[in-house]
Amino acid sequence: MSDEQEQDRQPDRGADKGAEKSKPQEVRVGIDLGTSRSSITASNGQRHVVESYVGWPADMVARKVLKRDVLIGGEALEHRTMLDLYRPLEEGLIKEGSTRDVAAVRELLRHLLQLAEAARDGGKGSEGPKVRAVVGVPAAALRVNKQSLRKAMSDLVDSLIIVSEPFAVAYGLEALLHTMILDIGAGTADFCVMRGRLPTEEDQRTLTTAGDWLDQQLEMLIRERHPEASFTIHMVRDWKEQHSFVGDPKGPVKVSVPVSGRPTEIDITEPMRQACEALLPPLVETMFDLLSRVDPEYQERVRNHIVLAGGTGMIRGIDKVLEHELEQLGGGKVRRVSDPVFAGSDGGLSIALEAPDADWDRLST
Amino acid sequence: MIGGQARLKRRLLGELVRDNLEQIRGGVPGRRRRRVLGNLRLLALALLPLSIFAPAGSVSPARPQPAAVRAAAAAPPPAVSAAAPAAAAAGVPAPLPELRPSDLAPIDPAVFPLSVERVVLDPGHGGRNGGTTTSSGLVEKDLTLDIARRLGELLRDEGFEVLLTRDDDVEMSLEERADFANREAADLFVSIHLNWIEGGARGVETYFLGTTDDPSLSRLVAAENRGSGYSQADLRRLLDELYASLREGSSQHLAAALQRSLLRSLRTVNPAVEDRGVKTAPFIVLMETDMPAVLAEVSCLSNEEEAELLTRPLYRQYIAEALLAGIRSYAAGGRAPDDVADSKGTHS
Repeated sequence: MSDEQEQDRQPDRGADKGAEKSKPQEVRVGIDLGTSRSSITASNGQRHVVESYVGWPADMVARKVLKRDVLIGGEALEHRTMLDLYRPLEEGLIKEGSTRDVAAVRELLRHLLQLAEAARDGGKGSEGPKVRAVVGVPAAALRVNKQSLRKAMSDLVDSLIIVSEPFAVAYGLEALLHTMILDIGAGTADFCVMRGRLPTEEDQRTLTTAGDWLDQQLEMLIRERHPEASFTIHMVRDWKEQHSFVGDPKGPVKVSVPVSGRPTEIDITEPMRQACEALLPPLVETMFDLLSRVDPEYQERVRNHIVLAGGTGMIRGIDKVLEHELEQLGGGKVRRVSDPVFAGSDGGLSIALEAPDADWDRLST
Repeated sequence: MIGGQARLKRRLLGELVRDNLEQIRGGVPGRRRRRVLGNLRLLALALLPLSIFAPAGSVSPARPQPAAVRAAAAAPPPAVSAAAPAAAAAGVPAPLPELRPSDLAPIDPAVFPLSVERVVLDPGHGGRNGGTTTSSGLVEKDLTLDIARRLGELLRDEGFEVLLTRDDDVEMSLEERADFANREAADLFVSIHLNWIEGGARGVETYFLGTTDDPSLSRLVAAENRGSGYSQADLRRLLDELYASLREGSSQHLAAALQRSLLRSLRTVNPAVEDRGVKTAPFIVLMETDMPAVLAEVSCLSNEEEAELLTRPLYRQYIAEALLAGIRSYAAGGRAPDDVADSKGTHS
């Protein structure tokens, strides 16, 4: 699916009050910067999601064929054979020590802002709306990561707030008290207990056993079972996104792969189950650990308000399995966010819209 | 949007902005201790303009100033690091001075003399939500309603205007209860519940809003922070926070008065009743109400003897009269010395 097709316009959401539609004076945006996908929700009604891939043409021939200096998202993935392809956010963070990765993050952010009509070709200070951005990062992001991000965005936006991703999700859902957010993405699974305060280290946990780890497990299991099949990690990722499940499958999971060049159907039901279920023990253990640290008086309330977000959190049946495990602690309720792709960026926009102007002025980049 | 939720969001946004400013200044990102100190600084700043807003005569010029204000006026800002001048020379905003808890003094609610006229009573649970139930069939929702009705009668006899969040066996969400009290502009909110504690414990406990029992949180203080760079918008937020701290103080005094009165009264008929203390907790009904608010666990249904006592109308009347005495004491002076002593004793 192309970025344009993935676009989801919602003109009513936070549209600038009284501002001329075609030339808003200011655009506020929420951005969920993810390992696998990044999304943006803007006050002008724009919403977009892109694959977090950035590619530069590998040589002169590629540049002539592609007629572009840089490709982003699904387009980059599609032309990856001609590109130096970067997925700049390993485990949800800008890789340290790689100037190309910092540049890739900048390109990704610039692309998101352009899609949302919140970018200025001449950078900050040139003609165009003032841009105020809230960017979600994993709960475990260190100060150095946040400062890298701040630096990367310094000439793309006028003001910037960096927020932990699960907090942005919680803010958007107004689930700020006695709630646990479990945001399972590609790079990380972020846990956060909301206690009516800005989450501190003790309220949060981050695991790196998330979607990417699942892909590797699934690839390994399929290769063990079907050594003759030829496939790539990108194909594995697509299969996971279409068929992942824990517990009982809806039906056999069959995919087509080349075997000696000939398209052949293979059954990957069991590898899919094993790989997806391998995610569960660390998730359950971490969930129990965080719950045990909640004031005993509120443990039941938190158990009954667990919110599952993130692409990997949408694995079929995972909510029910977690609820089953919670029975060991007296039971609980796990619900999924209704819009996992945009839950983080929508929450970011809510923060962006509700932060006072004076605070934005102090947070200029 | 619900008022309490809006306030909570506003507070969280304030914390988030401060956390980001610390990132920009190169400080350690928010941890609990730092945030508490941050609040103290902000409140200190907020105290200064109060003298501008206070009507003439309401605060005597001769009135002793809180210790922290005196200290701030007399002394240079405390503990500015030696690196600050170098940072200032480099154009980097200097970090705000750290405050020590020992520098701080409580905000005195007496500078805002307020009367109590309208009381909202909140009988816990109701409808399908029965609360706790004993094996003999005693249901919490019925007992809380009975006690609230008795207390309502007593308060009306004393001249208070009384409203009940529910006067029947109906289900109400916690938010609806808080909304009701806010809509009716109540001066006090008292939520009545019965406890259930495994292991045979018994006793009474009273809650007011808070997230911690750390006494430093209930002794919010003042110190000057000129040149901190805080804006007009900050000031509005600071005043909100100041109000929140005053409400917390009032709620704490009300909780202490109710707890003391419950113990004094119930021990005459139930000598074994335990003092489980005045405690802080972020109950929704306490979070979302705009006025001084407490939640009283007036007995333990899990304790067989207390459950038996609760079957007797006379015991429930004792509870209602004890609550009346506590409210009366709070309303009359708001802050009798022994109330304060009680609250400190059980809170620290």
